[in-house]
Amino acid sequence: MRHFIVVGVLIIVMAFATYFGLTSLGLMPVAASAQAGSISQAGSIDWMWNLQMIAMSFLFALIAVPIGYSLIMFRRKKGDTTDAEHIEGNTALEITWTVVPLFIVVAFAYFGAYSLSETLRADPNAMVIKVMARQWSWSFEYPQAGVISNELYLPVGKQVLLKMESPLDGVLHSFFVPEFRMKQDVVPGRVTEYRVTPTLEGSYKVRCAELCGTSHYNMESPVNVVSQKNFDAWLNARQVEAQAAKTPEGAGQLLVAANGCTGCHSLDGKAGVGPTWQDLFNSQVKLADGSTVTADEAYLTESIAAPNAKVVEGFQPAMPQYPFTPEEIANLVAYIQTLK
Amino acid sequence: MTHTSDKSSAYSQGITIFVYLAVLTALEFFVAVTIGFVQIMVAVAVVKAALVMYYYMHIYKLNNDNEGEENSYEYKTGTNRLGLWLFLLSDSFVFGALLVVRFNLLGMTRPPLSQTLGLIVTAVLLISSFFMNRAEVAIENGDRKGFKTNIIITLVMGIGFLLGVVGVEWPNAIAEGVWASKNTYGAVFFMMTGMHAFHVLTGIIFLLIVLRNGSRGLYDEKHYPVEAVAVYWHFVDLVWIFFYPALYLIGVLSS
Amino acid sequence: MMKNMNPVWRGLLFLVLFGLVGYALGLGVDFLVVRSLRFSGSVPSLFTLLLGFTAFFFGLFGYRGITRGLVWQVVGTLLGGFFVAGIRAIMGLSAFGDFFFTEPSWVFGAFVGAISFIFGVGAVDDWVKWARGIDTPEEHEEHYHGWEKYFAVSLDHKVIGIQYTVTALLLISIGGLFALIFRTELAQSSLQFLTLDMKLFGQNGPQLYNTLMSLHGMIMIVSILLGVAGIMNYVVPLLLGAQDMAFPRLNAFSFWVAVPASVLLLMSLVLGGFDTGWTAYPPLSARAPVGMQMFFLGVFVAGWSSILGGLNIVATVLRMRAKGMTAFRMPILVWASIATSIISLTATQLIGLSFQLVMFQRLFGMGFFDPAKGGNPVLFQHLFWFYSHPAVYVFVLPGLGVISELLPVFSRKPLFGYKWIAMSSLGIALVGFLVWAHHMFTSGMNEYLRVPFMYSTLLVAIPTGVKFFSWVATLWKGKIETPTPMLFVLGGIVVFLLGGLTGPPNATVSVDLHLHDTYFIVGHFHDTIFGGFVFPFFAALYYWFPKATGRRMNETLGKIHFWLMTPAFFALTLGMMRIGLLGMRRRIVDYDPTMGFDTYHLMLTVMGYLIALSVLIFIYNFFNSINNGEKAEGNIWNSRSPEWQVPSPMPTHNYDQPFEVVGEPYDYGLAGSKYVQFIEKKK
Ligand code: HEA
Ligand code: HEA
Ligand code: HEC
Ligand code: CUA
Ligand SMILES: [Cu+2]
Repeated sequence: MRHFIVVGVLIIVMAFATYFGLTSLGLMPVAASAQAGSISQAGSIDWMWNLQMIAMSFLFALIAVPIGYSLIMFRRKKGDTTDAEHIEGNTALEITWTVVPLFIVVAFAYFGAYSLSETLRADPNAMVIKVMARQWSWSFEYPQAGVISNELYLPVGKQVLLKMESPLDGVLHSFFVPEFRMKQDVVPGRVTEYRVTPTLEGSYKVRCAELCGTSHYNMESPVNVVSQKNFDAWLNARQVEAQAAKTPEGAGQLLVAANGCTGCHSLDGKAGVGPTWQDLFNSQVKLADGSTVTADEAYLTESIAAPNAKVVEGFQPAMPQYPFTPEEIANLVAYIQTLK
Repeated sequence: MTHTSDKSSAYSQGITIFVYLAVLTALEFFVAVTIGFVQIMVAVAVVKAALVMYYYMHIYKLNNDNEGEENSYEYKTGTNRLGLWLFLLSDSFVFGALLVVRFNLLGMTRPPLSQTLGLIVTAVLLISSFFMNRAEVAIENGDRKGFKTNIIITLVMGIGFLLGVVGVEWPNAIAEGVWASKNTYGAVFFMMTGMHAFHVLTGIIFLLIVLRNGSRGLYDEKHYPVEAVAVYWHFVDLVWIFFYPALYLIGVLSS
Repeated sequence: MMKNMNPVWRGLLFLVLFGLVGYALGLGVDFLVVRSLRFSGSVPSLFTLLLGFTAFFFGLFGYRGITRGLVWQVVGTLLGGFFVAGIRAIMGLSAFGDFFFTEPSWVFGAFVGAISFIFGVGAVDDWVKWARGIDTPEEHEEHYHGWEKYFAVSLDHKVIGIQYTVTALLLISIGGLFALIFRTELAQSSLQFLTLDMKLFGQNGPQLYNTLMSLHGMIMIVSILLGVAGIMNYVVPLLLGAQDMAFPRLNAFSFWVAVPASVLLLMSLVLGGFDTGWTAYPPLSARAPVGMQMFFLGVFVAGWSSILGGLNIVATVLRMRAKGMTAFRMPILVWASIATSIISLTATQLIGLSFQLVMFQRLFGMGFFDPAKGGNPVLFQHLFWFYSHPAVYVFVLPGLGVISELLPVFSRKPLFGYKWIAMSSLGIALVGFLVWAHHMFTSGMNEYLRVPFMYSTLLVAIPTGVKFFSWVATLWKGKIETPTPMLFVLGGIVVFLLGGLTGPPNATVSVDLHLHDTYFIVGHFHDTIFGGFVFPFFAALYYWFPKATGRRMNETLGKIHFWLMTPAFFALTLGMMRIGLLGMRRRIVDYDPTMGFDTYHLMLTVMGYLIALSVLIFIYNFFNSINNGEKAEGNIWNSRSPEWQVPSPMPTHNYDQPFEVVGEPYDYGLAGSKYVQFIEKKK
């Protein structure tokens, strides 16, 4: 009996120590969405996680403590060669430790379903943003404003509904912002949805969470949660820019943003998967076969229309073929010409 | 009707079961072309499968051969029988999964295939099962000549089935626009028939082996190898019992 | 001089020599095909691998057994490849490609190669004879003796068990080595040596990272399947009192197909690799380099091994039990083996089929998973996980069986609640079939499926819990001894507890939305796998080693192994979970330095090296003790189990006298009770 009391006390002590020890470490990143919530917001993800932590700490102590205790108290004494007491089992006990966990599981099943429904709760007035995921870049379209951007801007406190797509010949990606606590795969050939209500202004990143090839690790884009006012201002500025898209360079720049060219090509001279575009126009380009060409309009047009026709020295023929119209290519070339 | 062992009643049992199967297949076809009631077709397929498993594949034998000393031929045969059935269980997961693929990708539509051809190859396979059963009964009763004749008929029908599917059905499907690389109809059709044809092919190889060894009298006493090939052959038929409605009968024709 | 050399040194010498020859040859071939020398290309590496590997065994063993198999595999691969190349040339298609052969050539060649291996090594000789109507003797004789019998086909389940086990150790080392390489890259943020410019095997750094990481996963998993098969093969017939497995030839076949399968897996590294992770999701896997196909084929062939091995175990348990061994008098490990084998017998077909479908999509353009042709990428994930979730229970059930088997021995007390533990194994296996979609909560599958799969997954906790509570009750008031095997048992319990308890959070959909594809998952499964397989595997090796060799492994080294590995391992996985929760994604070669993970990752890398060091100590101890270990011929653990009632090493035909089961298996402490009674032979 004494053994049971000691172990019982130890289990409780250890369970509390584990729980408070772990939670004091700050296990999760900051919570920036209503779905992430907090441990006191019932139904949110952090609340659910906290319940899990309690259960884990307790169950871990429940098993680990008696094992450790037995190891110390019930060690074989030196020179003792006899066997221990012959106890085969105890049906009542077995039933207990089948049924009690069953109750725990049922409870967690209930909490889990409740938490999921809270997480998915839809606001009919949510703002829709279209997301396009490519190898290896994100682009975001605000359909009402007619704006396409490489960065995601979200107004704080308002639910947004991301409608996410990957090209028909694309691969899987996954939209993941750790501070929002949620991710959702993007599947070619269908539209998947991601609802989030940002609650904390700040700069985060969407980080692709589904292996999508060589540059998967690099498939990150900024996510900015800003006040409604700043959001409107940003959107306006983008709209003005979109007006500028009436010119060929402007249209080209928008195409670049929409197709994520900058995932591989930098504008500032840095090396990437593809060559930089800075000072590219009219420069001398060395090709893999040893020859040199001048990067004139014809060459740039060909490089975009048939990327693998001429491969630049030191690079893989990794550039995808895009279904651009000749006019779009002309716009792109016009834009690249402006990059000095 | 229970399982029997003396020769003539075993033969007549084979005939009765064959008639049942034929009638059920006709019923299935009839349901498909008239009311297209999927549940009935599935039920018919299940009944057919049960008949084949019990009367042609003797699944009950798994139960009743624990007699015999360890290391005796009887005991070993029992073990082999269990092994074969375990293998078939495993294999049926492939075919089950192919059905899942088919219904996931095509749903309640079906590829445009020639109904006549489908019915013909199905009939050929079914009849071959009938002769396989006769061959088995023959060798179990020491009738080597009957065994030979029936195995040869089975073989011919098996090869006929294979040629029918690969040589006639496949080109015909391609002509209808069911290309492997064109759409999922083609992909599913070629995968399912191809996988099944591969099993028929291995079955034919086994048949050739037992035909050769059997004609030399190797199985006059110990005829388990023939039983094993028979069970395998009927299993291939069993698979087709499900594949046939899944490919030809269930669902509306895709345009 | 060559003749008198120690075979191992001769093998290594050949490995180096022919490795170099292969490299030169590869460069030559490359030059002929692409008209430029690619020093970092894949063809030279491929030739180095194949020639070096074959030459090693040639030096070690001569041209017979495994060497013959490997030679046939190489020749078969080339012949198959040239055959398709010829056909393509006739059809007016390109005969050769970037990796010397084109993809169809490689696939066909590799397949022919694998089959050739089986014939070359002689694993199907008897079957061919049977087909030709020639009977083979039931009492098979060994052609080789001593260490040599492990390098050729043997029908003895004990030899096969050891062959499996050593192959598993080799693969763990290779997979571990890959882990060390990519962990070194991860020790700091930014690309260190796997950079964009770095080229090896024709791959650049990040791509190579992905290949190594994916191969680490799959090679480790294959090594687990082989390790599990090794333990079951060696021990189960002994526990049952059988002379051998039900189908000895099938048993040999199952082992030997795993060898060409491993070669295929390694070939994927040098044929352009594949960057999809071990899960190989299309559409990415439908467009990865040729290495992807080698990976698919390798797993496909390894799958046969698993399926047929499982079949054999089920048949053996159902048909080969000693007299008096009723279902509830079977040793608990037998129950675990049956549960495991049911899974590998059936579910394995699904991973085979899913991989086959992707292979066909690549070869013939069949659009199963290609959305542009009306296919469904998510369907693949269903097929894949329908196997791969139950597979995780294949990994652990035998391990948990070993734990349950050894605990009573070392606490000198009956196994608490024997029947409940036996049934819980079956329970885990069966419920395990119904939970697969918990890997797909974020995949975009039908939303209404998420809640039922959450429920079914949580249910698995109940039978697993029964095991844990019963173990605790077994220890309670025992008289506990802690030699090395028991240390690993105890370590396994606690590690698996940690891994198991991190399962329910993953199963809770809303929390999994955060956890999925982060290092939290990586921590979860290293814990479950180590606790459920690696620790019990080591326990089993330390425990049954004397049975196989008549000598025991060095205790001190064993203790060092344990006390080095366990803390390092805890630090490794707890660290993984910590950064995972903070948002560290899986499968990335580089991470954002602003997230502040550098210190953690450095720590993880160091821990990885410590684990490797401890495993090296184990490997030394293992091979050294075969000849130099302390003699241990009797019942050294004082166990009631039948195999310990006869002298070690185990006689060739197992028990000279058959035994009869006359009592309960674990009645420690019951005076005068006996589990088995040997039957005097009637003269
Ligand atoms: C040996 C292998 C093994 C084992 C045994 C398990 C066991 C379990 N696993 Fe794990 N799992 C993996 C290997 C394993 N897993 C791998 C390899 C992956 C990643 C694959 C990949 O993507 O690459 C994975 C991923 C994985 C996921 C997907 C995560 C994601 O990608 O988003 C989930 C989700 O539900 C999950 C859940 C579980 C659960 C609930 C168990 C349960 O079986 C655990 C049961 C045990 C306990 C719960 C502890 C003891 C019980 C008690 C003390 C009783 C009382 C307890 C309660 C009442 C809760 N696992
Ligand atoms: C049996 C299963 C198993 C084992 C034992 C291990 C062991 C280890 N694993 Fe493994 N791991 C997996 C299964 C396993 N892993 C799986 C399935 C994945 C998922 C892959 C995917 O996402 O697709 C994974 C992924 C994975 C990752 C995530 C990679 C990523 O997502 O980017 C990491 C990262 O740290 C990691 C680390 C380690 C380390 C440090 C060890 C250490 O314990 C290794 C210790 C070293 C050894 C055990 C070898 C010792 C021997 C030698 C060094 C001798 C060498 C000598 C010769 C070859 C002659 N593993
Ligand atoms: C997957 C990475 C990737 C993406 C995305 C990508 N490119 Fe490229 N691009 C490359 C690589 C690699 C090269 C160099 C090899 C070559 O010439 O094919 C290149 C070369 C080029 C060149 C020739 C540059 C030179 O220095 O000669 C142009 C122009 C170009 N890309 C335009 C574009 C445009 C426009 C887009 C977007 C619509 C784009 N690229 C998207 C990888 C990419
Ligand atoms: Cu996109 Cu990973
Ligand atoms: Cu799982």
